[in-house]
Amino acid sequence: MRPVPLFSPGRVATIASGTVTQLIRMKTFYFLLAFALVVVAAGNFNLPATPAQELSMIKKVSFGTMDLFAWLFAIVATALLIPRDQEDRTLYTILSKPVRRVEYLLGKLGGVLVVVGVSLVAMYAICATMIGVRESLFVAAEVEAMQADGRYSEEDIAGQVGLIRQQGLRPELAIAVLAFFLKAAVVAAVTIFLSTFASSSLFTIIVSILVFLVGHAHTMASSFWLHESGNSAFVRMLVKVVKILIPDFQLFAFSEGVVLGEAVVWPLVWQMGGLTLAYLAVFLLLSLLVFVDKEF
Amino acid sequence: MKERMSTPAVEVSNLTKVFSLGLRKEYVVAVDNLSFRVEAGEVYGLIGPNGSGKSTTMKVVLGLMAASKGSAKVFGLDSGDIRARNEIGFLPENPYFYKHLTGAETLRFYGKLCGMRGAALAKRTAELLKLVDLEGAANRRLGGYSKGMLQRIGLAQALVQHPRLVILDEPTAGVDPIGSRQIRDLILRLRDEGYTVFLCSHLLEQVQEVCDRVGILFRGRMRREGTLDELIAIEGQTTLTLEGASPALLERLRATVAEEGAEVLAEGHPRTSLEQLFIQIAERGGEENQPS
Repeated sequence: MRPVPLFSPGRVATIASGTVTQLIRMKTFYFLLAFALVVVAAGNFNLPATPAQELSMIKKVSFGTMDLFAWLFAIVATALLIPRDQEDRTLYTILSKPVRRVEYLLGKLGGVLVVVGVSLVAMYAICATMIGVRESLFVAAEVEAMQADGRYSEEDIAGQVGLIRQQGLRPELAIAVLAFFLKAAVVAAVTIFLSTFASSSLFTIIVSILVFLVGHAHTMASSFWLHESGNSAFVRMLVKVVKILIPDFQLFAFSEGVVLGEAVVWPLVWQMGGLTLAYLAVFLLLSLLVFVDKEF
Repeated sequence: MKERMSTPAVEVSNLTKVFSLGLRKEYVVAVDNLSFRVEAGEVYGLIGPNGSGKSTTMKVVLGLMAASKGSAKVFGLDSGDIRARNEIGFLPENPYFYKHLTGAETLRFYGKLCGMRGAALAKRTAELLKLVDLEGAANRRLGGYSKGMLQRIGLAQALVQHPRLVILDEPTAGVDPIGSRQIRDLILRLRDEGYTVFLCSHLLEQVQEVCDRVGILFRGRMRREGTLDELIAIEGQTTLTLEGASPALLERLRATVAEEGAEVLAEGHPRTSLEQLFIQIAERGGEENQPS
């Protein structure tokens, strides 16, 4: 009898690369074109605002769209993969090879995350190009205008340029992109868990989006229902259960501040990274508990 | 080799599989106390009508389903053991592989799942494409394959890791007679090469042509099992086929039969099957179209 390793990263990588190929050949990267159009449109608004405000608006629209595309793509791509494998019986041929179910789940999740990661890098490159170009144009125009006016000192000009740069292309923006990626990873893990027992992709997509929305209202809802004295014990318990079951997506909300030029609070970044890993582990474990004994 | 001779390729013992129908507390017994063995190196056919439990039995053997009672072993290992699956090549009924992959990519994908890499995998891919006569379509995506081509690439993926046991679920379902003949020839070739083949089908003529032993399943139970000769030979009757016999010779034979107290039950010209006729015509057509 030929030996089979207990766990094979090679098999996980094979399923992940198969998933990447599948998503690429489904022409999913076409959404990058839509994203590029949004960014170009945002970059060409001519608002009656200061250059700093205009840059801030470009960043808000571009990074908001990037965030939306990342989590929505993670949900849709993940929800399409496992139910489709099951419907098409491709799963039979994969699981009848020496593949453990945990390897299959990890491979699918890994493939989706690679595509989400590459997409985010591409979207960030598009954003960075647009913001960088606009920032340079704004700085040049502002310096020229202030010098031509003749009333401003070098310090005044440097201060004004600093204000524009504050809203321009800064390395901290990469942290916001990382937050989008980690949020998409948690959403994908939740979607994988749902797809292990859901009967259709549509159901999985709808429930995943609901979970995502509830996860955003976590802090607000729990502070309202848990601390209001008029609520019954049942409501309080229900809220506690929801708090445990649904990830808190407000965890990633600090990225909005980073996009708007606020300083990065590093303890929050570490907390985000740690909790993302914990959520991934919990949802993969739950998925495995359902999937390992599932009959096809 | 010793293990191959002594350990059965498949050993199903008292297998029962019960499905519950939702929340209604109703149950369906798909397989009922089923026992059989598939010896290493033979072609075993499990036949039965739709819903007789063939596919369920296969899924339990493949580890895709757990038995409610009893056990299924592959080369002595529990069917849920991952090492057992390394010895199995499986072709499901109406296989739908990833349509976005080409034939060669499909074989490489399944080969990698079995731990194959590099030159060994490239060599095996080329061998299998040749075996199933799909070298010309190796770089075409499966979305453009015909039903017969899909079955053949499915058979190739089943063989990619050199399994000792090949499980085929309705291998020729929906395939035209020529494609069906190609698959049948491949099964016979596999037997000659020492593979054990376990197939499920309700196409009885096909099973009769390729199987060494057959089990007849009906409503989840094994009704008859044995070699083809045991199952279909009619005791006490003999068939004699002659070529170029004159009417006088036939008359003398009839007289001899009558003298011996035997009886001629049927007399006439042997007939070819419609399938054979179709294949002959198609092959003749192919030869005529060959450039001279």
